[in-house]
Amino acid sequence: MANRTLPLTLPIALLCSGCTGWQSVLDPHAIQASRLEQLIWLFVAVCGVVWVTVTVVLVMALLRRKTPYSHTDTRMTRIVRAAVIATVVIITGLAIVSFYATRGLSSSDATALEIRVRGYQWWWEVTYLDARADQVFITANEIHVPVGRTVSLQLAAADVIHSFWVPNLTGKQDLIPGRDNTLSFTPREIGVYRGQCAEFCGLQHAHMALLVVVESAGAFEHWRQGQLAPAATPRGGEQETGKHLFESKACASCHNIQGGTASGTVGPDLTHVASRRYIASGLLETNRGSIAAWVADPQTLKPGNNMPRVALDASELNALSAYLAALQ
Amino acid sequence: MLLAPRLRIRRGVSPNLDQVKHVGTLAPAVLLGLCLQSSAVLATSAGPNADEPKSPAMSVDPATRSSSLAQIDRHNVNQLEPVFTFRTGRLGAQGSAPLIRGDKLLVLSAFPHTLFAIGLARSNGTLSWQFSPTANRVADGLHCCDRTHLGPVAVGDRIYFSTLDGHVVAVDAEHDTPVWDVAVADPGQGETLASAPTAAAAELIVGNAGDDYGARGWIAALDRATGRTLWKHYSTGPDQDVGISADFKPAGPRDQGSHSWPGTAWQHGGGSVSGWISYDPRLQLVFHDTGPPAPWNPDPRPGDNRWTSGVFARDARTGEARWFVGLHPHALFPWRNGSANLLLDHTWEGAPRALLVHPDADGRLYVIDRQTGKILAADSYISYPRVARRASAEQTPRTNVQVRDVCPAWPGALGGDAALDQTTGRLYLPVSRLCMDLEGRSANYLQGTAFIGANVRVTSSNESDGAVVAWDVISRRAVWSIRERFPVASDVLVTAGGLVFYGTLDGRLKAVDAQSGTPLWQFGTSAPITGQPTTFVGPDGRQYVAVVAGASGPYGLAQQAWIDRRDATAARGLARVIANVGRPRDPSGTLYVFGLP
Amino acid sequence: MMRGVGTLVLSLFLVEGCARESRNFRLDPPIAASLDAVAPMPNRIGGAAPETDTVLGQPYLTNAYNLNQGKQLYTWFNCQGCHADGGGATGPAFLSGWWRYGPQAVSVFISIRDGRPEGMPAFGNRLTTEQIWQLTGYVRTIGAYSAQTAAPSRNDAMQSRPSENRAPATVATPSDEWPTAPSR
Repeated sequence: MANRTLPLTLPIALLCSGCTGWQSVLDPHAIQASRLEQLIWLFVAVCGVVWVTVTVVLVMALLRRKTPYSHTDTRMTRIVRAAVIATVVIITGLAIVSFYATRGLSSSDATALEIRVRGYQWWWEVTYLDARADQVFITANEIHVPVGRTVSLQLAAADVIHSFWVPNLTGKQDLIPGRDNTLSFTPREIGVYRGQCAEFCGLQHAHMALLVVVESAGAFEHWRQGQLAPAATPRGGEQETGKHLFESKACASCHNIQGGTASGTVGPDLTHVASRRYIASGLLETNRGSIAAWVADPQTLKPGNNMPRVALDASELNALSAYLAALQ
Repeated sequence: MLLAPRLRIRRGVSPNLDQVKHVGTLAPAVLLGLCLQSSAVLATSAGPNADEPKSPAMSVDPATRSSSLAQIDRHNVNQLEPVFTFRTGRLGAQGSAPLIRGDKLLVLSAFPHTLFAIGLARSNGTLSWQFSPTANRVADGLHCCDRTHLGPVAVGDRIYFSTLDGHVVAVDAEHDTPVWDVAVADPGQGETLASAPTAAAAELIVGNAGDDYGARGWIAALDRATGRTLWKHYSTGPDQDVGISADFKPAGPRDQGSHSWPGTAWQHGGGSVSGWISYDPRLQLVFHDTGPPAPWNPDPRPGDNRWTSGVFARDARTGEARWFVGLHPHALFPWRNGSANLLLDHTWEGAPRALLVHPDADGRLYVIDRQTGKILAADSYISYPRVARRASAEQTPRTNVQVRDVCPAWPGALGGDAALDQTTGRLYLPVSRLCMDLEGRSANYLQGTAFIGANVRVTSSNESDGAVVAWDVISRRAVWSIRERFPVASDVLVTAGGLVFYGTLDGRLKAVDAQSGTPLWQFGTSAPITGQPTTFVGPDGRQYVAVVAGASGPYGLAQQAWIDRRDATAARGLARVIANVGRPRDPSGTLYVFGLP
Repeated sequence: MMRGVGTLVLSLFLVEGCARESRNFRLDPPIAASLDAVAPMPNRIGGAAPETDTVLGQPYLTNAYNLNQGKQLYTWFNCQGCHADGGGATGPAFLSGWWRYGPQAVSVFISIRDGRPEGMPAFGNRLTTEQIWQLTGYVRTIGAYSAQTAAPSRNDAMQSRPSENRAPATVATPSDEWPTAPSR
């Protein structure tokens, strides 16, 4: 039994797995993504029907016996005319539907949560904006939003063109240096969704992922308050040593940790690095081991990225990874 | 008699960097003891010196930059001629004014500093003694763009001056010995000093410079006898750090100095107190500006960025803030103030009022009530060249975005300290009419390095980049204005003889009629004049005018020999603007003393 | 026959064009450590470059990737605040061809790593050795007065001076405009 059905179930299972998951256009969890998904299915259906029709006609034409040309001319003209009219109608219809669908993607909502996303090679800087300056905070590679509330993203780029794409939530939008683009989405379900850069931006374009975490309003507020707080005080001698190393070595030139003297803005903000699920823009899951591996040799894990290999001995690496892994 | 029978111009001896040294090659034995307790050029109080006895050698009122001397007036100024010169031989920023003390003229050279005392009793200004405190040369890399007026000032029988590397030094004038030397600013944090201490009440008040380097601004009081810090207040941070208590105006939410910044950006938020600190002995208040916030790019610092870019009034004894006027909340452009606030007691709209005249770097003249901090007038004193547009909110600099034709350019519309004639209520302003293109870049904070976040190009009109404007404070209008080819970067002096003195970047010291603005006299010196012209009465009872020629401030930076003008952003964009001035004939700081024949 | 030869020659050119310069993203740690071992003269002006630098073919002066990284680091670490885009401000210009501590790459490296007595901060503990070498290479490209084999790419930001890849980028400053040494 299994032998006969396996060849059939395998491709079907593969096909279906493409429809779900945390980075799938066909698994929408926001209003905008739903609209786009409907648009996709409409296009697939219409174009599928057209394709089938055209193929059938083609096959019929190939298999027909040749008959002398009698009144085929008039018939051909009628058929061609009908096909042209049908094509024009279908394409116009699809264009109108597409126009309305994509126009509805950007909504201006006064109560939207404003977030600025700035793309760097090869990570995402996320700034939560607020009218009150002391409620503004910066994080990296992970965006948390409350469910049901429209999020308005201001997209900027620091160096080259990137593109923001979280397929479960909305369509793509480019981040262009010197230009401000906006993108908005309204998530409907709680969950974790993966996105990635969708415009080739250099060596590590493939490793420029980000996460959007949609959570309840209460959980979001709790997370936000945690991000506003300064970095966790180091507990124990090893973490103290790690903090001291961080601030005295090259780390502080590029990274910022609120509450200490490290104020670099070239690399991701590390004030709450351990609260994020991944480090290095979706490359490794966050834990002490992966932090140590990343700090010890970033160029092997992500060759060509802008984090240099800082020479550290074993005890320094231990202390540093202990400190960073505790920055919840 | 100061003058020999025929005119002789002598140069001073080249200085050594030893400690206190007496040079008596040509002069007689060094004069010991000073018979005159003269009030100092850059002394301390508003109006006639309340702390020190009056002296016939009284010279320039530091609060208003005006002098009551009238021997040299509009009729005889065209006979003014150089009496002697003294070449310090020191390159670098030279903005300090000479100080007359008895029969000696004290000059502070550029960094690394040497204080020269030039004897006037004998002819031709010979070097009497000199003193050089040890210098931390790290500060050489931190001195960019503040105009330096480091002193000396005289209070009692002591002379005080600030050094670029963050020290305040006290020297006993009678015995020519250093008394104390305290470090108040830390060059490791990007802090330097740009102003001499102000004597107020029983203490010395000094503020730091360095908002271009991310230094947090502060103002502190030092004990005159020992140099110990009595109090210190910051320009950013929680109310306790800033010195805000319950009777502060305007009343508002707590800790605005930290809540109007994201995160801990206020810790390197700028707001330096690099300019002249004015003292009102009657109200017992000191008034000072706070500089622009750091970095120049406003993107990383959303919020009002309290308490930068404004004017503070503080209690002279405790330093507690009485009021604050925020002139540029969330400053979009890095206009630096640091030019003097001038005190004027006059009727305003019928009622007598204590006024604070604040010429701002944005091109407006603010008249503020000294007691309450209320803005009474804000009028533009400057017009810009034809192509320029005034800076506006639509032109917001952001990262990776360029804004063009922002006027005034980043050094500000005011090129130097203005002078106020209290009898006529007229203000004489040295003006710069430059505009700039600014591109925001990302700013990374590294302690002790420049924290700017901007590429700047300054544009010149190629006709008239500067002006001297005479402004009537009470009737709020310009009376006359003289167009200058280059930005006027010197301070202004107005005398009771009806004269206004100022200097230009091509080295000319000029005297014009205070009433009408008619040019009356000029003299070409060997270096740009960016300091304070001063006037005094010598031991022979005659009036002299003196100035130290030498490049300081942003325009001075652009004239340094190592600048290459092929880069439009060299010297923060000023190199090309100053190109037409040419290099100074002698870049070393040189003292010029002028007198009537 | 001629057409065959022509095709062969053309394809050789094409193949040659596909070769790109090698980029070394990760130096072996011992080599990276040895790049720090410069042997300066007693007055810290000039000296011997590390052996590994010479053996590797001076990659920080001749490899365009390193020069580009140097250009990026130049903006990131506030070099522009004091040196502008090579025109100078508080710090001396690089464009003019006058080098205060000599034109050797080793001197520039020592200046950046250890600082200099009159205002240049030390970056030795703020940057890695490789980053300092990349900056050294870039700084010397700004002031290059002979044609270089490699150059960084042009600015996306405000172009304030002739681009580095226009070689020779500068004409040496005439001697009567050289800065005079400040008197002590």
